[in-house]
Amino acid sequence: MSITPKTKRRNLIAPAEPKTQRLLNRRKVLTGMAAGAVTLSMGPAFLRRASAATGPIKIGMPLALTGPIGIVGQQIKRSCELWAKMKNASGGLLGQKIELVVEDTGGNPAACVRKTQQMVDRDGVRIITGIVFSSEALALAPKLKEWNTIFMSSSNGDGRLTADALVPNFFRPNTSGPMGARTVSLHLRQSKSNKIAALGLDYAWGHNSVQVFEEEMKRAKKNFVGKLFAPTGTKDYATYIAKLKDLDADAVFLVLQGDDNNAFLSQAKQFRLGEKMELLTEIVDLDSIRAVGDASLGLMGSSRYSFTYNHPKNKEFVALWQKEYNNVPDTFEGESWQTMAVLEAGILKAKSIDAEPLRAALETVELESVKGKLTMRKCDHQAVQQGFMVKVVKREGFSHPVPDVVAVYPGDVTTPRCNKTSYDD
Amino acid sequence: MQLGTLALLLTQTANVLSQTALLFFLGVGLTLIFGIMRVVNFAHGTIYMLGAYIGYSLARVTGSFWVALIVAPIIVGAVGVAFEAGILRRLYGRDGSAFLMVTFGLALILGDVVQIGWGASALRVAVPDLLSGVVLLLGEPFPDYRLFLAGFGVVMAIAIWQVLERTRFGLLIRATSQNPEMARALGTDVQLIRSGVFGVGCGLAALGGVLASPLVTASLGMAASMIIDAFVIVIIGGMGSFVGSLIGAFLVAFVQVFGNFYLPELAIAFIYLIMLLVLIVRPGGLLGKED
Repeated sequence: MSITPKTKRRNLIAPAEPKTQRLLNRRKVLTGMAAGAVTLSMGPAFLRRASAATGPIKIGMPLALTGPIGIVGQQIKRSCELWAKMKNASGGLLGQKIELVVEDTGGNPAACVRKTQQMVDRDGVRIITGIVFSSEALALAPKLKEWNTIFMSSSNGDGRLTADALVPNFFRPNTSGPMGARTVSLHLRQSKSNKIAALGLDYAWGHNSVQVFEEEMKRAKKNFVGKLFAPTGTKDYATYIAKLKDLDADAVFLVLQGDDNNAFLSQAKQFRLGEKMELLTEIVDLDSIRAVGDASLGLMGSSRYSFTYNHPKNKEFVALWQKEYNNVPDTFEGESWQTMAVLEAGILKAKSIDAEPLRAALETVELESVKGKLTMRKCDHQAVQQGFMVKVVKREGFSHPVPDVVAVYPGDVTTPRCNKTSYDD
Repeated sequence: MQLGTLALLLTQTANVLSQTALLFFLGVGLTLIFGIMRVVNFAHGTIYMLGAYIGYSLARVTGSFWVALIVAPIIVGAVGVAFEAGILRRLYGRDGSAFLMVTFGLALILGDVVQIGWGASALRVAVPDLLSGVVLLLGEPFPDYRLFLAGFGVVMAIAIWQVLERTRFGLLIRATSQNPEMARALGTDVQLIRSGVFGVGCGLAALGGVLASPLVTASLGMAASMIIDAFVIVIIGGMGSFVGSLIGAFLVAFVQVFGNFYLPELAIAFIYLIMLLVLIVRPGGLLGKED
C-alpha cells in the first residue's frame, strides 16, 4: 500500500515576489555582508603588523574534531592545550605567550587547506600541528614553502610524508604507519601464526600501512593470504569478518581507527573471530578500549604511546595529566605531548619561530620524551624512536581494560632507513 | 578451515536480514514523515543517534537494555512531537526549502547537544545477556543478537503494516496523506495526525539507534553515516511508500553485504547505480507515485 497522495497536491508556495526586487534584496544583503567582512578583517590585520615582533607565538591547529575519527583530533587538542597552559604558566617560550588557533576541518583535505590558508593570512600563524588525516597532511605539504610555515606532525601515519612526499618544512616526531606495521611484524616473526591477512581503512594511511606490512610478511617468509579495505564509516563489519574467516588466516593485522575500529572489535567479538585467529592492530588506543570494553581483551598491537610505559618522563607526564584531567592520557595525547616537546626544544635552540632557523634547529633535536629516547633525523625529518608492542589486559584499579607493554623494540630497528617507507631485513 | 559455500550463504543471508531490520526502522520513519507532511526530515540521522545515546544512558541507569529499547524511542518520539508542534507547524504553506533548513538546523543543534551532554568519545552499549551467545549455522558461529534483530524487524514491519491497514489511526494517516483538505473537512484533526506521525517517525529512528548501538557503539559519527543510507532507501522504495521502504532497506542491505563480499571495489557505487536506475525508470521510486 502507499501513503503518498494520489492527486498532485495544491501548490502551497507563497506567491513569488518580483524577481528584480528579490535580486536587489539579495544584492543588498551580500554587499552589506562583504562590507562587514572587510571591516572585520582589516582590524586584526592592522593589529597583527603592530604585534608581530612581540605578540604571542601562534600555533595553528586545523584538525578534524568531528567525524568518524574526530576523537583523535579531540585528544590532540586536549594535549596541546595542557602543554600551552603549562608553558604559559611559566612565562611562555622566548618570553612570549603561546596561543593556539583551533579550527575543525571535519577531516576534509580541501577544508583543511582552506582553513590553514586563513590561519596563515589572517592570524599570522607560522607553525601548524595536530592535523589528523594523512590525506590532509599530504594536501598541506606542497603549500608549506609558500606559507613559510613549519608543520609538526602529531599523528600522521602515511610513510610517504617522510619519503616521496617529504617537503623541507615537514617534521614527524610521531610514530609512522610503517613503523607500527614493522613493530607488529617483528612480533609476528616470533609467532607460530603462519597464514596472515590484513584489514585496513580505505584511504592513504590504511593502504600504506597494509602495503608495508605485506612486504614485511613476505620477507619474514609468512604466507600472506589476503588484504581487505573498508571505507571509513563502515557500520557493518560482518562481511569483512566472514571474509577473514574465509581466508582462513591464523592472524589478521588491523589498520582501523575511531568508529570503524569500535564497530569491528564489537562485531568481531560477537562473531567469535578471536577464537579463530590472532587479532593484531597497528594502533591500540584507550578510547576504543573504553568504547568496546571486554571485546578488546587479548587484542595485541603496536602502540604509538601507552601510559603504562615505565619511564620517568612518562610517569611525570601521566601524573600531570591525571591532576589536570582526572584520567590517564590516551595514545594521541602522549604522541602530541612528544611532538610539542620536540617543537619546544627546536624553538629554544633556534631562539626564533621563523621557518628558516627553526627548521635547522629541529633537524638536530635529541631528547628524552615520554616514549624514551628520540632523535630527529636530518635526512628525512622522521624521529627515530622505540616501538612498543602492547596487549590489552584487565588491571586492578581501572574500570576498563588497559594496554600493557609486552615488548619494546629499539629505534634503529623500528624506524625505516632515510626517505624509505619499507625495510630491508 | 575455509567456510563452506552453504555456510557462507546462510550466514550472509542472516546478515542481510539483520541489516535490513536496522535500515528499515530508519527508512520507514523517514518515508512516513514524508508521506504525511511532505517534509524531508534532514535531522533523521541525528534523531537516530539521539536514540542510541538516550538508550545508552537508560541502559546504564536501569541496568536493562530492554528498558532502553522501549523508553528511548518514547522520549525521542516526544521530542519529535514537540518539534513538530513548536516549529514545523508554523511553516506549513512555505516551500520545501524552509523545511530543509529547519530540519538541518535541528540536526546541527541536536548534534552539539549530544556532544556537550555525552562527550565526544564513543560509548559502549553491551549486548543484553540473553542474546550475547551464538548459534551455529552449519558450524559457523552467528550472534544471537543479529538473529534477534532480523526477527524483531519482521515483527515490527508486520505490526506497522497492521496499524496502517487495520486501525483507525492508520486509516486517518492514510486519509491525511491522500487528501489532507478532505480529511480536515470530514472532521479529522490533521494537525494532531501530523504531530503524531512525526513523533512516531522519530521514535522508529530512535528504535533503530538503540538496536544498532551494541553493534557500532553510540558515537557522534552515527548520524552522518546513516542519513545517506536512509535517503537512498526512501528514493529507491518511493517517497511515502511503506512497502517501498521495506524493499529499499532490503536492497541496500543485500548490496552492502553480498556486494562487499564478492565485488568490494564496486559495492558502494552499486547502491547509487541502483538508485540512479530507479530514478530513470521510475522517477517516483519503485512503489512511489510520481508527482
